[in-house]
Amino acid sequence: MTRISINPGRVDWSGENPGIYLKHKETDEAYCVLSLFFRVVMSPYGRGNAAIVLGSPDAAKGWPDETNFIITDNQRLMRWIVDGWVAKMPTFIGKAGLQHMSWLNLDSVHKTPGDLKTEYRETLRGSGVTLEMIWQDMGVPIPVEVTVENSATKEHEMYSVFLEAKSADIKVNGTSLPGSVQSRQFFGRTMSTAFLAFSETWVTPEETNK
Amino acid sequence: MPLSEPITPGVVDWTGENPGILLKNDDGSFSAMALFFRVAWSKFGQGQMLLLYGTPDSAQGSDDAPNIILSDNAKLSDYLLESFVGELAVFRDAPAFKGLKHLVAQSIQTGGDPMSHRYSETISGEGTSVQLIWEDLESPRALELMPHQVGSRKHSMFSVLVPAQQASILVNGKPLAGKLGTRVQADVETTSAFLYFTETWIFPPEEL
Repeated sequence: MTRISINPGRVDWSGENPGIYLKHKETDEAYCVLSLFFRVVMSPYGRGNAAIVLGSPDAAKGWPDETNFIITDNQRLMRWIVDGWVAKMPTFIGKAGLQHMSWLNLDSVHKTPGDLKTEYRETLRGSGVTLEMIWQDMGVPIPVEVTVENSATKEHEMYSVFLEAKSADIKVNGTSLPGSVQSRQFFGRTMSTAFLAFSETWVTPEETNK
Repeated sequence: MPLSEPITPGVVDWTGENPGILLKNDDGSFSAMALFFRVAWSKFGQGQMLLLYGTPDSAQGSDDAPNIILSDNAKLSDYLLESFVGELAVFRDAPAFKGLKHLVAQSIQTGGDPMSHRYSETISGEGTSVQLIWEDLESPRALELMPHQVGSRKHSMFSVLVPAQQASILVNGKPLAGKLGTRVQADVETTSAFLYFTETWIFPPEEL
């Protein structure tokens, strides 16, 4: 395939989209915790920050009965992204926790990037919740460019820069959620289930944009 | 469009945002030049840097039109100046490049919305405040450029371009003189005021 310098598709949104997926043990099929962070710098619904935490992905209950919530400062943006992207990702498809998660208001978000190798942290506060997402022991940045066939939604093209993290932690009001980082097959190689994702752009291809 | 291989070969140099405004005199020469960097990953960590040539044809600049760097990460700004800006002929060859005064950025604020009509970056420190304002914004376009298509001639580059039809540079509240011009990128004519988001510079394998 020949590279086309100016992508004819429609840019949907750009930003950062790191995640942490945890399992109780390596042989488990299902994740016990799913989490994604969003720092959206450009979209049709404006800019915004958010984190999704499903501490009980298969439970049809939200916070505080279960640790299933999204915390955001732009609900309109995130309802669009949850419906159009997150709900179509294989890891999240059909998860009752995603459908029933509570929508919490975000008052502040603070990143502590450090040296980008040892530890990277996002701290979000609002609605009585303090959420800390912590990535540790990062690898080198990996540039990715993903076709519709290879993308998580199977509907978009995607560009990003991934950094794998060998370990990670998610704390809700100071308490770590259970589970640990594992490996998975992703982009044709074995990669960690904890990752930073900088400079991420999602594009709707021209043929589905008409 | 992306290639079918998901992982791009090469080594990431840096990634982040890199908007700019280039203003021109009536004779076509540059009257003011500004680039802003918000780096999400580099080997020197994250950081932000404003490069301003208030007086491009002079090493000294003036109080009202200074030639300055405003940065919150000195190692990163030194690297960007030497290895990136220094590879862009239009910036490297301007007399202002040799006389830049380095200031510490104490406040950096983003305003507006890049998919609306107005966007701004305001960078302040050591008594100097510079505001970059982009207006009449066009729709975003995703770019995938090869080394022969970029100023450094040694990177491949992914970015999202938002061209602006109007722009201004304010130093301590006063606008610098000049007007926008045109430029050509990837064989397409665009303006000399541009937002670049999610921009990644990669050394391709043949450059390593």
